[in-house]
Amino acid sequence: MHIAEGFLPPAHAIAWGVASAPFVVHGVRSLTREVKEHPESTLLLGASGAFTFVLSALKLPSVTGSCSHPTGTGLGAILFRPPIMAVLGTITLLFQALLLAHGGLTTLGANVFSMAIVGPWAGYAVYRLLRRTGVPLMVAVFFAAFVADLSTYCVTSVQLALAFPDPSSGFLGALGKFGSIFAVTQIPLAVSEGFLTVLVMRLLAQSSKGELTRLGVFPADERKRTETTEAVAR
Amino acid sequence: MLPIDEAAHSSRWRRRHPVDKAVLGLGLTVLAISLPPWPGAALVMMTALTVMLGPAGVPGRRLWRAYRVPLGFCVTGAATLLVRVGGDGFVGLAEGGPQRAGELLLRTSAASLGVLLFAFTTPMSDLLPRLVKAGVPAPVVDVALVTYRMSFLLLDSVRSVRQAQAARLGHTTRAAAWRSLAGLGATAFVRAFDRAARLQNGLAGRGYDGTLRVLVPKARVSARFTTASAALLAALITLTLVLEGPLS
Repeated sequence: MHIAEGFLPPAHAIAWGVASAPFVVHGVRSLTREVKEHPESTLLLGASGAFTFVLSALKLPSVTGSCSHPTGTGLGAILFRPPIMAVLGTITLLFQALLLAHGGLTTLGANVFSMAIVGPWAGYAVYRLLRRTGVPLMVAVFFAAFVADLSTYCVTSVQLALAFPDPSSGFLGALGKFGSIFAVTQIPLAVSEGFLTVLVMRLLAQSSKGELTRLGVFPADERKRTETTEAVAR
Repeated sequence: MLPIDEAAHSSRWRRRHPVDKAVLGLGLTVLAISLPPWPGAALVMMTALTVMLGPAGVPGRRLWRAYRVPLGFCVTGAATLLVRVGGDGFVGLAEGGPQRAGELLLRTSAASLGVLLFAFTTPMSDLLPRLVKAGVPAPVVDVALVTYRMSFLLLDSVRSVRQAQAARLGHTTRAAAWRSLAGLGATAFVRAFDRAARLQNGLAGRGYDGTLRVLVPKARVSARFTTASAALLAALITLTLVLEGPLS
């Protein structure tokens, strides 16, 4: 769910654009540096962007029986890191606005802030924290995807509440209204996205361990160990 | 290909420079959010619809299919303005709520139509390479170009895999549907990276130096078109200011 075109008043749209700008600029710098050092990264990053775009187009069955789309921000942040996700997320949101009429150009800053910045950073922070405390990989992946998804929609509710405060109870009342529609209903979907991300990661761990090691999900010595085991088996 | 991009490729205004269409489409969007919703946004909405269904030749059915997506969000979001929380009783109807919700719906609908006018007439492949001239760093534009081109291939792959899964009864039970969906996500990842590796090998054989050079259809900014668009926007502003008093 993205904030639709023209939904936010001009001052709010500009303010969220300004708030997102430093993160996107930081991401652009990281991406430019990476591409200059390794020109072949352009193709890998493009593939990652396409993967993020396609992931957000998959239909996700909710645990309550309804259906929605995953945000993909948790998985993206684990695989590609939050600064890169800020750029890939911005590109994906631009494509969604122009190719699918999801979101908008005037609300791009607000959507980038919730989906490409807060979601990935929150998910990645939870993932790193849990991994450092020795929590198994798949448990950390579940909570990263869950938190990334839910925090995205909580921020969207805050953005809407700030733009349209309740006439009686102000910001808090509006937050309750928008939160009950856009964030609380998202809890089962966030659980679903957590499960889906775990299943995808399990399959990737079996089929693409090399890529995951190169992306830093698995430590490099683990790849060496796997290769040695394979060599011994041969 | 996605319906909006497909329509853009066969649009009557396909050969026009993106700047021409941005002045008109995005200009209408800016007016929609900055003018008073009544009568400003209403006038913008009517103008955008007239231009799209008339001179731009956007198919009505495709437009409706694209337009109902943002409309769903707008209706849900605007409905919250009808209700107030707190005050006398815990929940009640908000004073002036219907008016605020109506104005929001008008503004959002008009702004969405402005962007749709631009999207339905400007293929992404015409727009992206020109972003470098607008100051976007070349590496970011290159990544966006690869993302754009690879997205369609991946969407095609995902569609085929989904059909194959359905043919193998992969969606009959809840557990099977989850397994299939996870397989779909993982396959998309594997195929994206495999395609990137093969592209890299192919480009390396052709002396790839990190810059993707693509042919962009030649088009010139039309002074007549942009002037006419600016005049139309100015007329909308004037008409709104003139009508605002009598109609409010």
